Amino acid sequence: MSDLAKEKAARLLKKRGSVSSLGSHDVRAKETGGKIKDSISTVSYIDEPGHHDDNPRPAVQMENTFQLAPHRRFPVLTVNDILKDVLASYLQEEKYEADLCRQMTKTISEVIKARVKDLMVPRYKIIVLISIGQLSDQNMRIGSRCLWDSSNDTFSSHSFKNSSLFAVANVYAVYFE
Amino acid sequence: MDEFQLSEETVETTIGSSAYQQNRINQWTSSVVETSLNQLSKLGKPFKYIVTCIILQKNGAGLHTASSCFWDNTMDRSCTVRWENKTTYCIVCVFGLAV
Repeated sequence: MSDLAKEKAARLLKKRGSVSSLGSHDVRAKETGGKIKDSISTVSYIDEPGHHDDNPRPAVQMENTFQLAPHRRFPVLTVNDILKDVLASYLQEEKYEADLCRQMTKTISEVIKARVKDLMVPRYKIIVLISIGQLSDQNMRIGSRCLWDSSNDTFSSHSFKNSSLFAVANVYAVYFE
Repeated sequence: MDEFQLSEETVETTIGSSAYQQNRINQWTSSVVETSLNQLSKLGKPFKYIVTCIILQKNGAGLHTASSCFWDNTMDRSCTVRWENKTTYCIVCVFGLAV
């Protein structure tokens, strides 16, 4: 992609945070009966700073729309193409490097979200999830399950691989009734 | 969103302290995700949930995950739980979207 597009994406990023940088971390070592177990877990929340300081918007009274289903469904195949396109263009020649890939995941997720938003599918909420990892001898499994309305909600997924890294992109679209 | 405490407990109970085993991995991912979804749905709140689980063998390889969401900031939330033991990493992301 051109440098201009990358710069724009970087500027967009500065306004928003990513899950890893915002939120509080809470590290706990499990203790049972005086012994410390071998596992550690951390939980991070996505409470944005200053989120609750703003004046809460007055509750908006919505009128009935009498609309049971979306007028326009989410275009899964178009989004598949978007994912293929973005992953290939950003990652085709890249080698896995910690700093680069950290930035790249954030950039790519913002870019994909912007392109899906450009499709202007009304009343759909979008979630984009990107994972970029180093190719080595490890095994990995990514799974996801959703509790939603399967007639209206859908997802799209694509994976990409080159000689030193792999990337998995998932886009979930949830209808807002 | 306190119910996200639930997802952490669910992950800990489902995975327990097992070492990484290739043949079990399929079963684990499914069971982690299904159990947490079941627990979340038992809460009976008007939310749609998306649960994602990544299980990874500890091998010195790196992994980066990012997510970007277009939703209603006042009502929708997400939570991520990272769990590790000597041989495995597990990352569970839960997104809750208000209906």
